[in-house]
Amino acid sequence: MGTISSAFSITAGALDADQEALNIVANNVANANTPGYTREVPNWQENPPVLINGIANGDGVAQTGPTSVRDRVLTERLDQQQQLASASGTRLTALNTLQALFTPDSGSSSSTAGDIGSDLTGFFNSFSSLEANPTDNALRQQVLSSASTLASDVSNAASSLNSQRTALDEEASGVTSQVNALTSAIAQVNRQITTISPNADAGTLEDERQQDLSRLSQLIGINQITTENNGLSIATTGGQLLVSGSSSFQMTSGPVDGITHFFVGTVDATSQLAAGGGQLGGYLTARDQDIPSVLSSLDQLAYNVSTSVNALNNAGTDLDGNTGTTADPLNIFNQPTTAAGSAANMSVAMTDPNRVAAAALGKGTGDNSNATAMADLANQGIVDGQTPTDFYSSLVSDLGSTVSEVETENTAQNASVTQLQTQNNALSEVSLDDEASSMTTFERSYQAASQVFTMLNTVIGSAINLGESTAVT
Amino acid sequence: MRVDPSYIANLAGSIDQSQATEQQLSSELSSGVGITSLGQNPVASGQNVLLLNQIQQDDSFTQSSNLVTGQLQVADSTLGSVVTQLTSALSLATSANNGTMNSSDVQSIGSQISGILDEVTSLANTAYQGQYIFAGGKTSTSPFTTTTSGSPSVTTYNGDEDVDYLETPNGQKIQLNVPGSRIFLGDGANSVFGALNSLVGDYSTGTVDTDKAVSDTEALNTALNYVSQQRVTIDNSMTQLTAASESVTDNQTQLTTAQTDLMQADIPSISTQLSLTETQQTALEDVIAQLDSTSNNLFSKLQ
Repeated sequence: MGTISSAFSITAGALDADQEALNIVANNVANANTPGYTREVPNWQENPPVLINGIANGDGVAQTGPTSVRDRVLTERLDQQQQLASASGTRLTALNTLQALFTPDSGSSSSTAGDIGSDLTGFFNSFSSLEANPTDNALRQQVLSSASTLASDVSNAASSLNSQRTALDEEASGVTSQVNALTSAIAQVNRQITTISPNADAGTLEDERQQDLSRLSQLIGINQITTENNGLSIATTGGQLLVSGSSSFQMTSGPVDGITHFFVGTVDATSQLAAGGGQLGGYLTARDQDIPSVLSSLDQLAYNVSTSVNALNNAGTDLDGNTGTTADPLNIFNQPTTAAGSAANMSVAMTDPNRVAAAALGKGTGDNSNATAMADLANQGIVDGQTPTDFYSSLVSDLGSTVSEVETENTAQNASVTQLQTQNNALSEVSLDDEASSMTTFERSYQAASQVFTMLNTVIGSAINLGESTAVT
Repeated sequence: MRVDPSYIANLAGSIDQSQATEQQLSSELSSGVGITSLGQNPVASGQNVLLLNQIQQDDSFTQSSNLVTGQLQVADSTLGSVVTQLTSALSLATSANNGTMNSSDVQSIGSQISGILDEVTSLANTAYQGQYIFAGGKTSTSPFTTTTSGSPSVTTYNGDEDVDYLETPNGQKIQLNVPGSRIFLGDGANSVFGALNSLVGDYSTGTVDTDKAVSDTEALNTALNYVSQQRVTIDNSMTQLTAASESVTDNQTQLTTAQTDLMQADIPSISTQLSLTETQQTALEDVIAQLDSTSNNLFSKLQ
C-alpha cells in the first residue's frame, strides 16, 4: 500500500526530473547556433516499482541524463561525400585557372594574341605567303615574326602551367599541418571519451570529435573504424593509419624530384592521397594529372613543330644559296633535344630572314618548293599522327571535357552533400520551435507536479489535524 | 517528421547560385560571345580552333593570290610584247626575202631585226619586284646573255628549269612561272633567239642566201607560235587563280558564318534565361523574407 509520504517523494522526483528536462531545453536553445552541436533530448526513466504485499506500487520518474540525437552512419556518409565534393571542388578551381590559358578565340579572321591555335595557323600561313614571292624580304621577315609569336605564346603557356603547378604544390603542402592538428585533437578526444563514456554516447565530446572529423574530411580522404570503448581509428583511404585510439600518427611532407610528396610514417602515400579525396586529393590530382597532361601535350606540339620545321629548313636552300650543315644548321626554332620541356623552352633561333630556306636543295633562290613543303606541314600528321591544328583542337576539347566532367561531378557531389546535410540537420540540429514546444510541455508538467505537491500538503494537513478544532493548514 | 531547421541557409545558397547564373548570362549578353570557357562547350571549343584555322588559311591565300596575280600579269603582258616584236621581225624578214631589195635595204632590215633581238632579250630579262620572272628558280641573275663574238651570235640561258607553284588551301597547285629556256629557246627547233640571231647573220652582209633566210624565217614563225603556246600556260594560271580566289572567298564567308553561329551568344535564348533567373531570384527572396520574419517562431507566441 502506498503512503502519502511516498507520494511526496514521487512528486519531488518529478519536479527534479522536469527541472533537468528544462535544463536540457535551455542548453539546446543556448547552443542553437553552435557549429557541430547535436541537440539533446531528456531521457525519462520510470523508477522500478515497489512491491508491497504483492502489489506493485509505482515509484515515479527519474532523469538519466541527456542523450544526443545522432546517426553515426549518416554522419559518416556525410563525411565521405564531403571528401569527394571537396576533392572535385578543389580540382575544379585549379582546372578553371588552367582553362583560362586556353580561352576560345572568338575573333573571326584576325589572329588574336595569346591564342596558340591562331599562332599555329599564322606560322604555317607565313610559308604559304612566301610561296608567292620566295625572295621577298618582308614575307621572310613575316615567317620569323610569326614563328616568334608562336614560340612565345607556347612558352608563356608552359611557364604559366608550371607556376600553377608550383602554386598547387605549395597549397597542398600547407594541408599537412592542418591534418596533423586535427588528428592529434581527435586522438585526445578519443582518450577522454574512452575514459569518461566507454559504453554510451559521449555527448559534447562526441560532437567535438565529429566536428574534427568533418573538418578532416574536407582536407583528405579517410576511413573511420569504430573500436571498443567508443574509440575511433582513422586511416587514409589508402590504408595508412592516422589515429588509433589515443595516439595519432603525423603526416609529413617533403620534396621528391622537385615536387612535394606526402608520407605517413615512412610510407610515401602521395598517389593514394591523390586518389583519396578531400582538398589534398583535388590539389594533387590537378598537380600530378591535369596540368602534366596539358603540359605534355604542349611539349609534344612544340617538339614536333620545331623539329619538323627545322628538318625541312635544313634540307632546303636559303636566300644566300646555303644549306643547313651540322656546323651551321638552318634552324628556325631552337632545336629541342627531348619532348619534355620543349614547350617551356620553345624559342626562335633564327635572326636573319635570308636564312629561311624557301628553295629546295640545289634549286635557285627563286624556287619556292621548300616553302610549299613547310606550308604543307600544316596539313600533315606531324604531331602524334595529327596535324598541328587538329592536335591543338583535341587538346582544347579534351581539356574542356575534363573541366565540364569535373564540374558535373562536383555539382552532383555538392547536391548529395546538401541532401545528407539536410537529413542530418533534420535529425540533429536544434529546432527552436521544437524546443519551445518541449519547454511548454515540461513547464506544464512541472506545474502539475507542484499542484500535486500542494494537494498532498493539504491531505497531510487534514491527517495531522484529525479530531482537533484548530486546523493546521 | 522533423525537417532541417536551417532550411533558410539552403535558400540563401540557392540565391547565390541564381546570382552566379545571372552574372554569367549578362556577361554573355554584353560580350556577345556565347562560349567564354572551354568547359562550357568542349566540342564547340575544339571545332572553333579548326574553323579559325581554315578561315585564316583562306584569308592568307587571298593575300598570296593578290601578290602573284601581279607577277602573272607582268609575265603575260611581257610575252604579249614579245609576240608583237616577233611578228614585226617576221614581216621584215619576209620583205627582205622576196629578192627585190638592194643590199643596203637588206642590211637595214638586218639591223632592225638586231634591234628587235635586243628588245626581245630585254623583255626576256624582265624583272618583277627585283626578281627575273623568266629565270626559273635563279631569279636573282639576268637569265639571257648574248655572245656576239661568233657569227651568228649565240644567246645563252643562265637560269634553270625550276617551275614554282602556289598551293590553294584545298591542295590545288597553280603554276606561277614558265622557265625562260622553254619560252625563248624552245626545244632546240623552236628557239626564238636561235632564229633571230640567224636572221641577223643572214642580212648582215647585204647579200641574202634566200634559201637559208627563208628557212630561218620559217623557224622564227614556228618559234613565234611556240611562244604563244607558252603564253597560254600563264593565261591558264591567271584563270585558275581567279577561280580559286573566288571559291576560297565563298568558302571563307561560309566558314565565318559557321564560326559566328558556333561562338556567338544566342541573344533571345539568353534573355529568356536571364528573365527566368531573375524571377526565380525574386521568388527566393520573397520566400526568405516570409519565412525569416520573427513572428514565425513559436517562442514569439509564448507569453
